[in-house]
Amino acid sequence: MPALSGFLWLLGFWLIGEAVVTLTGLPVSAGVVGMLLLTLTLALRGGVPSTLAAAAQPLIALLAMLIMPGVVGVFFIIGEMAGHWTAILAGLILGTLLSVFTTLWLMQYLMRRYHVGD
Amino acid sequence: MSVTNSFDQLATLRAVLLATPLFAVGLTLAAYLLGICVFQRLGRPTWLPAILVAALMLAAVLSLTGIPYQEYQQGAAWLTVLLGPATVALGMPLYQQLPRIRELWRPLLFSLPLAAGLAVIYALGIAWLLGASPTILASLAAKSVTAPIAIGITQQLGGSVALLMGALLITGVAAIAFVSLLARWMGIRDERIIGFALGLNGHALGTVRAFEIGPTAGAFASLGMSLTGVLTALLLPLAWRLLTLAGMSVGS
Repeated sequence: MPALSGFLWLLGFWLIGEAVVTLTGLPVSAGVVGMLLLTLTLALRGGVPSTLAAAAQPLIALLAMLIMPGVVGVFFIIGEMAGHWTAILAGLILGTLLSVFTTLWLMQYLMRRYHVGD
Repeated sequence: MSVTNSFDQLATLRAVLLATPLFAVGLTLAAYLLGICVFQRLGRPTWLPAILVAALMLAAVLSLTGIPYQEYQQGAAWLTVLLGPATVALGMPLYQQLPRIRELWRPLLFSLPLAAGLAVIYALGIAWLLGASPTILASLAAKSVTAPIAIGITQQLGGSVALLMGALLITGVAAIAFVSLLARWMGIRDERIIGFALGLNGHALGTVRAFEIGPTAGAFASLGMSLTGVLTALLLPLAWRLLTLAGMSVGS
């Protein structure tokens, strides 16, 4: 049952994350805290245990399905958001165009500057 | 058997099926698998991701059968609870990217906060100028962040998760189109830069596209996606809290 014990690790880190968020009142989600603590633990340990990989890999592959119930919700608020769609679409599409340009330009400039381009 | 009698039986069946979460879970699994099937038959179009196909089919089934979205969502919560451990699981690829982060730490240190911050600011600025309400802005803020992390952020900010999901879909598809267009226009061929831009702006959808370009682009997309997710999750709720506090003191 390697995947099961790996899953217990993931649950454990999530619960630690929940405890940290509840006790500190940090405006971060429990999952993110658990993720960072897991990365830190793996770095200190110097490798990914096979049990953890057995649970983490299939779970990451299933992410798209796990968010499906939420994605479906957008079709049921189309009416509610009527009149706001121009602002929403312009913000998303134009904003993405600008931020893609910024990222490409910045990385190109900085990688040349620090000579990691070649 | 009379017609009214069989109608009664159908109503009983519907009530029985809706009472068990397994119905919603089964419906989700079926739609997801069918969505992937249709996506592959169509030749994997980048503008129509498998998840959108699946969500459209699921929405159609719900409205045809008259099942309220809330009832479906309650049953499907048995699946969505796994988003918690799945978010934690993202720590594994993040750890695996650490050597690349070390190798490029200086360009990343400067470009990541700037680019990830501007991805939020551009979108919110434009939407705000066009008169979007605070709830809409809160729902769009995490548009470049991978879904499991973005959901957490949006709940923190008080936005609509449903609208966020739509925003993620549109952003991912737009990021894929703009990265290929702008990279060609700017003469950028470095897979590391292209992949990083895909992951930072287009979260999981962009990362999938980057892996189609090549393994280097894919690795840098995962890097861009995870670092953007972490940074936005840590800083955006804090910035939002400060912003609303400032807005309240100005408004009052």
